Amino acid sequence: MTEGDDASELAVLRELLFSPDRRRASELEEKVNAQRLTPEQLAQQLPEAIIMRAGRDNQLARALAPTVENAINESVRKRPGDFADAIFPVLGPAIRKAIAEAMKELVQSINRTMESSFSPRRMRWRIEAIRSGVPYAKIVLRRALVYRVEQVFLVHAETGLLLCKASPPDVATPDADLVSAMLTAIRDFVGDSFDAPNAGRSAGGLHSFSVGELTVLVEPGPRALIAAVLRGQPKAEFRRNLAETIEDVHAHFGSALVDFDGDSAPFAATAPLLERCLVTALDTDPNPRTTPVNWRPALIAVSLIVIVGVAWAVQSAFGWQRAMRALEATPGLMVVSSERSFRTSTIRGLRDPDAAQPNAVLASAGADTTAILQRWESYLSLDSATTLARASRMLTRPDHVVFTLRGDSLVAAGRAPMTWVAAAQSGRALPAGVSGLDVSGMELEFPSALQPLADTLTQSRIPFDVGTAVPAAAGSASLTSFARALERLQAAVRAMGADVRLDVVGRSDATGADSTNQALSQQRAEAVAGLLARRSGLREVEFTTRGLGTTQPLDALDDAARARLNRSVSFVLRPVSHHPRPQ
Amino acid sequence: MIQKKVCMVGMFGAGKTSLVRQFVYSKFSERYHSTVGVKIDRKVVVVDDIEMTMVLWDLSGRDTEAEASPIYLRGALRGAHGVIYVADGTSKPSCDAVSDLQGLANSIIGEVPSVIALNKTDLVDSWALTESDRVFLGSNGPVHSTSAKSGDGVEAMYTSIAQSLVGVRQRR
Repeated sequence: MTEGDDASELAVLRELLFSPDRRRASELEEKVNAQRLTPEQLAQQLPEAIIMRAGRDNQLARALAPTVENAINESVRKRPGDFADAIFPVLGPAIRKAIAEAMKELVQSINRTMESSFSPRRMRWRIEAIRSGVPYAKIVLRRALVYRVEQVFLVHAETGLLLCKASPPDVATPDADLVSAMLTAIRDFVGDSFDAPNAGRSAGGLHSFSVGELTVLVEPGPRALIAAVLRGQPKAEFRRNLAETIEDVHAHFGSALVDFDGDSAPFAATAPLLERCLVTALDTDPNPRTTPVNWRPALIAVSLIVIVGVAWAVQSAFGWQRAMRALEATPGLMVVSSERSFRTSTIRGLRDPDAAQPNAVLASAGADTTAILQRWESYLSLDSATTLARASRMLTRPDHVVFTLRGDSLVAAGRAPMTWVAAAQSGRALPAGVSGLDVSGMELEFPSALQPLADTLTQSRIPFDVGTAVPAAAGSASLTSFARALERLQAAVRAMGADVRLDVVGRSDATGADSTNQALSQQRAEAVAGLLARRSGLREVEFTTRGLGTTQPLDALDDAARARLNRSVSFVLRPVSHHPRPQ
Repeated sequence: MIQKKVCMVGMFGAGKTSLVRQFVYSKFSERYHSTVGVKIDRKVVVVDDIEMTMVLWDLSGRDTEAEASPIYLRGALRGAHGVIYVADGTSKPSCDAVSDLQGLANSIIGEVPSVIALNKTDLVDSWALTESDRVFLGSNGPVHSTSAKSGDGVEAMYTSIAQSLVGVRQRR
């Protein structure tokens, strides 16, 4: 067998052995070739395949992850701006959501603090409203206005053209287009000025500026910026509001912003978004649903009640003590026991009938006597004030008489009718605590019935001739009638328990030496006194004599009459207490 | 509402502000030129029954071209829909500057509708332009002779740029 034969045989053998398999193989190959997916077929089946696989396991995501990451990295590296624009609408909310949670708690606690500080302020506003006549709501608006957004502009970032605007009905914005362009220019200007080219158009740049009461807040987005003109001090939450709005605008009007060529009509639909930013923030009730937390006024009220209560208690304790001290200091009053209670207090004690009224003492000490139950027992007080009061009552002391105590003796001074003195002296009713009455220092008065007679006697004058100490004939007659009248008076006074004291006063005319005249006037007084004293009816009269000479002359119209008038004796008389004459 | 951003550029003294003063609505004072470097005005033009508001960015001119700050112009010109170049007919440098300014503008915002306001026709006797200068100027775009003093040609110039702007819009 040759080699060639071998080969052909082998081929025949292979043919015999494998031909069915080879046929089958080529069939399969054809089948497989027929089954190979064209890109079109793949495109059709891919989404379904991905969904099926994703539903089965996580293999697909794992396989794709590196590729997707690479793609993103590449995109960010090559065109960061586009990427930033694309994710801008989602980035903001995501970041804010995280921050919001953290801030929420803080804000609430601040709100609570703020709220509690409102009540006194509101009270002030109410007072201001009443005082000025301006409605309360206006006062609140004026005083509590934190900020009010007056204009909101949506501005196309590249051209500075106004896309839309919003403002409250009372605010006109005729030049909004110019303002928004100028705003863009100013942002550029600020960016250029501080060496940060393009800063005005990027997310950085000028975010806010203030002019007087006005603040302009700018929140830039990639293709448009939102600017708010507001009065007052904006809060951080408003800035967040602006950021959300510009994000919403980009999310809903992204393609319109890209295609913008000066026609602002498509952006009229952003008005509701902008109007959302027209906020008026008042610093009144930031959190009205937590009204029950208004503990501060209640605390103030309770504190006031406590303070008033304590003050009242202290005051009334002091008042009670003061009243007790006043009672104890009053002569003739003795407090035995006292009890103070919330409703009715009680005082028990002793009272001299001549002591002051306890109610009067309490009232003058500021105590409410209606709330004090008093029981006073009578007793006799021997202290001097009460004794004097008792003496005044029992002796019916006249107004001009003053009582003092010298030891046990009651000393009376001053002027009183002789009848009163006589009665007092009778001694039958000396007040308790008084053993004697001393009226020696008193000035007595005639009783009114005897006063005319006394006056007549006082006006009588006994004339003398020149140089003599013996009454003239006329004088002698005068003296007799005087003596008779005096006897009548003495008798009457004597009947009333007193005596008359007669002061005989001699004078002389101005001629002659003073010493002679003095002696002459004394002799004249003594002569008259001697003549009177001899009469039995005048034995009890006390006589005193005085010679005045020319020292206290009586006046008359001419010298002769004056000389005649002064050559005389006159009388001063008054009642004196009746004393047993010394033996 | 159709709005267009239109920049007015030109050398100092070319009369840009004068072209604005009597013919457009101004809110801001001319002080803004020296402070912010730009003054914004408004010109409302009706073209083909369409009311168009041109927001005019009146860019402050510089004494010499060398002082013109590209950075500054870049910011102000960005997004402009049209440009008005203003040249002073009595000043050759002022006219020559138009070409350079246009080159600068085109590099920033690309080709946009523009007109050239050749100002001070009231001083035509003292014009400094030769015929070749005028031809050169015309090569940069449509030239409108204006007199801010008498008002001649000013409205026509504003209407012309407005028409170009409307045309651009309609083409798009």
